[in-house]
Amino acid sequence: MESGLVELCISSASESKESIEKWRRQRRTLEKLPTPLAEALLRRLLTRRLVSPSLLEVFQHCIEEINLKGENLVDAEWMAYLGAFRYLQTLILADCRSITSSALWPLTGMNNLKELDLSRCMKVTDAGVLHLISIRNLEKLSVSETSLTADGVAQLSSLKKLYSLDLGGLPVTDSALSSLQVLRKLEYLDMWGSKISNNGAALLKMFLMLKFLNLAWTKVSKVPYLPSLTSLNISNCSVESIFEQGYYGVKAPHLAMLHLSGIEVTDVHEIFSYIDPRRLSYLDLSNSFLHNFQFLVNMTALEHLDVSFSRVEDDSVELIAHVGTTLKFLNLGNTRVSSAGIECLAGCIPNVETLILSHTAVDDTALPYIGMMPSLKVIDLSSSNIKGVLFLVFQISVTSVMEVCSPSYAVNLSKATNRRAKVLPGHLTAWPQGIGVVSCVSCPNTGTTPNETDNGFCHLVGNELDQILSLTALQNLNSLERLDLEETQVTDGALQPLSSMKDLMFLSLKSDFLTDASLLFLSSLLNLKFLGIRGAVLTNAGLLSFNPPPLLEILDLRDCWLLTEDALLSYCESYSQIEVRHEHIHNCTAAQIVFHDSSAIRGTSRPVILRPKLAKSSPAKTCTPCIPFRKEVFVDERLKYSRKELLELKSSPLPRVSYLFHNALELLKIQ
Amino acid sequence: MNKEETVKLISAEGFEFVIDKKAAMVSQTIRNMLTSPGSFSETQHGVVRFPEISTTILEKICQYFYWSLQFTSGKETEFHIEPELTLELMMAANYLHT
Repeated sequence: MESGLVELCISSASESKESIEKWRRQRRTLEKLPTPLAEALLRRLLTRRLVSPSLLEVFQHCIEEINLKGENLVDAEWMAYLGAFRYLQTLILADCRSITSSALWPLTGMNNLKELDLSRCMKVTDAGVLHLISIRNLEKLSVSETSLTADGVAQLSSLKKLYSLDLGGLPVTDSALSSLQVLRKLEYLDMWGSKISNNGAALLKMFLMLKFLNLAWTKVSKVPYLPSLTSLNISNCSVESIFEQGYYGVKAPHLAMLHLSGIEVTDVHEIFSYIDPRRLSYLDLSNSFLHNFQFLVNMTALEHLDVSFSRVEDDSVELIAHVGTTLKFLNLGNTRVSSAGIECLAGCIPNVETLILSHTAVDDTALPYIGMMPSLKVIDLSSSNIKGVLFLVFQISVTSVMEVCSPSYAVNLSKATNRRAKVLPGHLTAWPQGIGVVSCVSCPNTGTTPNETDNGFCHLVGNELDQILSLTALQNLNSLERLDLEETQVTDGALQPLSSMKDLMFLSLKSDFLTDASLLFLSSLLNLKFLGIRGAVLTNAGLLSFNPPPLLEILDLRDCWLLTEDALLSYCESYSQIEVRHEHIHNCTAAQIVFHDSSAIRGTSRPVILRPKLAKSSPAKTCTPCIPFRKEVFVDERLKYSRKELLELKSSPLPRVSYLFHNALELLKIQ
Repeated sequence: MNKEETVKLISAEGFEFVIDKKAAMVSQTIRNMLTSPGSFSETQHGVVRFPEISTTILEKICQYFYWSLQFTSGKETEFHIEPELTLELMMAANYLHT
């Protein structure tokens, strides 16, 4: 970030073509311009699309690093000027589709150039390699997904100073790899999707400095023993062994990152038998068909564990819990893990910062356990069974809260009531005093009469259906920054506990149970930067009365079908610092033309129609089942436009519009 | 103006700008010069010479100091910079940490 006046100068200098003309002749000043300032100015000019090839000339003495990633304009002419940048050290040309092999010619002999990125420049072929190999001091080269063949790759062997080489997506063969063996300084080698076989992989042990190796999507099934390796990616390979060939009794001493996403494997324990489990800090097992996770037992240094889309179940969660205090990232998304599994984790992984439970059967009973992971910063509960309310089957008058907390008490209670009762530990103080939280997990129907437990500590008052806002359990997570509750069944009332989470920066909600009432709680989240309330039943009036948190940057209102363009635009006007996302804001110009004179009618008609329905759902007294609401969503096409508007539309000459609202008209007729 | 509360900034050509100390403190570099405990002559006399900064640029810089004070106190106006001054002003601003 530049300081105040520097930033103002850069803005003024890059305001228009005319302002550039005012300073571009000041050559002496440009030559003196310190590199960071020149680079900041050039970056701004690039983002404002004001750079022409000839303008590059004025920067030729002061730029060391230039990133032109994704600039399709960059062609041979640009390269001719860039070739004169005598102090250039880093040149990023990734995704510059107009770059051809011959366009690389001006780069020949650029002795200061150390890093060159040509990723996905599809027109660069073996002919381009001839120019590249004249850049003697090149240390970092990426030619992934270009049109190089194995022959071209083999020629790169003359770039002796290379320590990083990205050959991803190129048809590198075993023989091409064998000619690269002379690159003794190589530390980083990416060869995903290449034609390397086990024979080629055996050559890798010649690279004594190799730290990073990517062999994903190849036919390699046996990775030789590479003691210097710190990161290995063999995702989507059918793996037989890792580090078995050449193994001499010392388990790979440096390997810390292992990507095994989507691997096919016969014996997973065989794979891990040559890897030191106490070194691994990053393990990606997503999309694998693994179901036995016994190998996790000794991984005491693991920080990042991704088992999403795998066959991990509640039984294996205990092994994850075993990892213990080092774990910071845990992805259990799209697995069969349920609340029972989360219970095993509680208290075992106190330093976990990110917990992803999207698309699992996890429900509200897991929230108190999640609330016991004090370092959590990111929680993703999207598409889970979270409702935000826990139904208290029994209300208990408790003499001692401590007694309720003990597991033995739960057992006693289970015996007494003949059902699987569970006492949720922790945060009892956060819940209404004198009420222990007992959820009846297996049988929701409440048929028993009031009961008295053996020890007489408590008395079951009755089978009143009472509820607790389960998100309250997350209130103790002081470092929580991001919470994702998309596609869950949380209602307005259930969100209430969120209003005290002052540090929350990112909140994502998507549900047709949410209404204007939610906005009220959410404006008290003072640190919020991103707020998504997608698909909610928000009204214009509700939106306009929403006072956004001061730091809010993005307000995502997509699929909030009740909001009109006028309301959204006037909201954008009053809070210009916020980027509002909604279907109407980008692609609704056609509709705007049609409706410009009828906004007054629209503004009033819709909220009036819907208000009774909203009132029904807003108190969290009962959990509204899903289906009736879906029906209401179906009705919205009719509600979207007043009768007068629809009749106007009918005579509208625009075929697209009449097609869009054909259904609505039909429904109106039926009415 | 009380001499204690002003500073004198001298441009390359020898032009002198006498401005409020508070305004000059917008620049981190000048602030350091004026407040450092060492025996900078600047600290004692309240005079700072800028042999690298031309009069036009230093004048603009002084305008910016006052504008910045107003801006932080809530008066949100625009600070116009002529495009032909941008490069030199940028370098001076970079040097002055403002």
